Amino acid sequence: MTTKIINLSARLMAAAVLATTASFAVAQDMTPELDAWLKANELGSYTDGTEDWDAIVKAATAEGEIIIYSASGRIAKLKDHFEALYPGITLTLFDLGSVKTIEKTVREQDAGIFAVDVVSTGNSGQVINELLNKGRIYNYVPTQYMDRIPVENRDPLLIRVNEALVFFYNTETFSDGPPISNVWELAEERFKGRVGIKDPMASGSTLMGLASLVQHPVEMAEAYKRLTGEDIVLGDGVPDAGYEFVARMLANDLVIFKSGSKLADAAGKAGQDDAMIAFTNMTYISRNESKGNVNAIIQDLDPISKLVYPTFTSIAREAPHPNAAKVFTAYLLGSTDINIDTKIAKPYLEGESFDLLQGLAPYHDAGSVSPRSDIPLPEGGEIWGEMEGWVVSDQFMWTQGPKLRDFWLIQSSQ
Amino acid sequence: MASISQQPAGKPALLSGRNLGYQFYRLKNRPEVVIGALCLAFLGFVVLVPLFQIVRDALTYQSYDLAYVPDAEVGAFTLFHLDRVFLQPISKALFIKPLLNSLSMGVAVTAIAVTVGSGLAWLMVRTNIKFKGVFSAMLMFPYMMPSWVMALAWLILFKNDRIGGADGLLTSMFGVQPPNWVSYGFFPIVITLSLHYYAYAYLLISGALATVDNELEEAAATCGMGKWQRAWRITMPLLVPALGSAIVLTFIRILGTFGTPALLGLPVRFFTFSTQIYASINARNQGDAYVLALVLIVMAITFIWINSRIIGVRKSYVTMTGKGFRKRESDLGIWQWPATIGVILFLIMTVALPLLLLLWESLTLTSGNYSFSNLTTYFWVGEGNVNLAYGEPGVLHNKGILGALGNSIKLGFSAALFNGMLGLLVGYAVVRGRGLRMSKWLEGVAFAPYIFPSIALGAIYIGMFSTSIGPLPALYGTFAILVLITVIKNLPFTSRTGIAAMLQIDKSLEETARVQGIGWFRRMFRIIIPLSMSGLVAGMLLTFITAMRELSLIILLLSPGNMVLTGVIFGYQEQDMAQHSGAVTLMLVLIIIVVSVLVRVLSGRAGVQGLNNN
Repeated sequence: MTTKIINLSARLMAAAVLATTASFAVAQDMTPELDAWLKANELGSYTDGTEDWDAIVKAATAEGEIIIYSASGRIAKLKDHFEALYPGITLTLFDLGSVKTIEKTVREQDAGIFAVDVVSTGNSGQVINELLNKGRIYNYVPTQYMDRIPVENRDPLLIRVNEALVFFYNTETFSDGPPISNVWELAEERFKGRVGIKDPMASGSTLMGLASLVQHPVEMAEAYKRLTGEDIVLGDGVPDAGYEFVARMLANDLVIFKSGSKLADAAGKAGQDDAMIAFTNMTYISRNESKGNVNAIIQDLDPISKLVYPTFTSIAREAPHPNAAKVFTAYLLGSTDINIDTKIAKPYLEGESFDLLQGLAPYHDAGSVSPRSDIPLPEGGEIWGEMEGWVVSDQFMWTQGPKLRDFWLIQSSQ
Repeated sequence: MASISQQPAGKPALLSGRNLGYQFYRLKNRPEVVIGALCLAFLGFVVLVPLFQIVRDALTYQSYDLAYVPDAEVGAFTLFHLDRVFLQPISKALFIKPLLNSLSMGVAVTAIAVTVGSGLAWLMVRTNIKFKGVFSAMLMFPYMMPSWVMALAWLILFKNDRIGGADGLLTSMFGVQPPNWVSYGFFPIVITLSLHYYAYAYLLISGALATVDNELEEAAATCGMGKWQRAWRITMPLLVPALGSAIVLTFIRILGTFGTPALLGLPVRFFTFSTQIYASINARNQGDAYVLALVLIVMAITFIWINSRIIGVRKSYVTMTGKGFRKRESDLGIWQWPATIGVILFLIMTVALPLLLLLWESLTLTSGNYSFSNLTTYFWVGEGNVNLAYGEPGVLHNKGILGALGNSIKLGFSAALFNGMLGLLVGYAVVRGRGLRMSKWLEGVAFAPYIFPSIALGAIYIGMFSTSIGPLPALYGTFAILVLITVIKNLPFTSRTGIAAMLQIDKSLEETARVQGIGWFRRMFRIIIPLSMSGLVAGMLLTFITAMRELSLIILLLSPGNMVLTGVIFGYQEQDMAQHSGAVTLMLVLIIIVVSVLVRVLSGRAGVQGLNNN
């Protein structure tokens, strides 16, 4: 008898397994529902460069709601302001971090759930190749912004904000100015155990920063020669000068941090006579003000001083509130009343400044830059424009990112 | 079965009325079989399906693998991941080294945690130490705090200049830099984890000790056994099941723990199995992650198997019988006060210090500055000031936080309730059905959730419960799915306590009732539940605590209106709002503490404590 019950339950289980796994194979293909949705909302191939904005706002108000998956929690600051500006639309934000934003979107859509309207996250390799190219998200740029955004910031996918990784140094430890002028100096003995990095295995932005260097092996090799006068000799099994840089940094006892802000504070705390150099997100320079750090950014570095990583915003496939998603996308880009000469006063999250910046307000910060070319740089962040920058391509991240991770893993476990 | 159903008139047809009636009669008298089968079917579905999907993903190409094998077809069968993890050169960094680190960490923490936990259990249950009531409640406090709190406290005390920034307390007071091995890596990880996870051993062993009849030891004394001989020959064997469970639970939990190794291990590149799994999941590299997770699962199963072999051989650990029961405390003599002071110091170190640190953190204007001039109550009672913390109001004025608080409490209570029920049923079916193959299966399946990486289980549940399955409606986006996944994830512990509790209740008690024609439900409510109440309450309380603290398990399943406190803390940590996250963490810990103390007091009033602590 017991055996029979077990057999029966085993069979039921097997059936359940089949039933649940069958639902995994859907999505990604063009279905009649998807086609109708794209057509009704003039997205995908139905975009014709014209739209009736008033009608969209009206329809958005009728939809009454918008659901956002975002890698950044700062969008939460926008809720009250957005809802006041567009009465009748309730904003719900899921602050998930970049991995979970992508994971949740993919899992839900594969299971046939279309619950989210706006997906905003970084990690270009996966966003472009796994979401956009597979039809899980769609690019949308409101027509009134088309001329205000350079094409590289809206094609193939609209960038919500550009940020960068840079090198910080402690101005008390190094009172004569930047301690280095060439990135390869960090691999020298004098910086042994005195350079910090946020764990690229856990941090997408740091991995992208490293990948930007690795994507430019020729430039890296030339910079090495300019510093030492010699051609670089690659280590065993190291493919090029980009990877060699990563290997030498790790061999020089690079200190790995879990948190980028803690790293910025570790480098920047006042009163240190042996502070470390931090390879971290530029936006943490604002902690000079809030935490009393004495960091400065190394502006002039051979071959490059700024490694840019974008965060995107998009409309999710078969979003239940597509018009609200369009209105929110426009809101994220800021008011069209701003031009490059507009004076925007602190605090940005209040009054007139907030009304002008709208969705840009929480990100109007040193180290964060709007995709628009007609927004003035925020106070304290003016040096963005003076620094040379590289940005890693999404294709490189998609095809080489995993290999870079493997390389890091092996080299850091030596 | 076969011998009875083969009547002289020939075997009755399977579906004949006579056979059905007979089978019904048989089942009525074997409630453990019915319950076991139902539990097995349910658990099989919610536990084995995810396991199956982990195996499937480990053996098929994932989209991440396209970087290595550009023309692979996603979903096609492959041994690529196995080859990569076990055979390629990367195996050393990805698999072998982290495995060795995890194993040595697991052995060390388990040894310390079980020793500390059992020692404390003995002091609390069997000796005349002072302040017992207060102590036994407070000894659970470290477990109620997120485990990283202890790691953070360690860093504040012992950090050296390797990670720069402010000096550790030790350095600023004495001017010496602690060596790296004190500040980071194996040593501090083992210490901080032991001080967190001794709770398992403490709980299980104090529960078991409380039910060991002193008469057994006295009988041994009469026979001329010495003190140590009694402890070794009489008490120890009776505690073997609880001790075994404590070792298994602690060890496997340590293998899967992530926060502390990440915080204390990274600066010296001490990588563990769990940090590698999380790193792989973080990269959305399911292939690597699931192969590693499967190794964990295999190790855990081996462990449980060994444990069940040891206990399976010793059948004699029924300690609750219908016969007389006496308990006596041993007198510590001159050691009474030193032992009391020792426990006080232990509690100061593990409870007061970290809590104080959290409170202080939440009261600082700029985080990390611990001077008195830097104190403020803004983050508790502030109304929202745009210049501070992005204008986020203090926690006591924050609607989002208060709503999440309600949800957390709801989740904690419902998970505890369902978990207690399920744990008891599993325990009943496993123990009473001992000898049946089903009993072994059920025990194994009930333990399986323990070793799933939380975040992987969450991801799989999205897919499983997004559509209706038979009579079950689509659970995705409901509150029920949060309860379900929490119950499943915590089941290993409650089923362990259920089994441990049932093992101590002699069959004869139930049989006596049965002879008098008392039905199963009444037997359950009048005999089994009251007798196993102390273990059950402890298990439910533990579920409540972990449910309140859990995050990575449920984060993918949260939906509007379902936000819980840990989600709020996560958000604040992501935004590096240390004071808010400190304040909310403290709030969470305080609520857990208040509820636990209430439960203890109430259950004590209801007579449960009579079996638990006196």
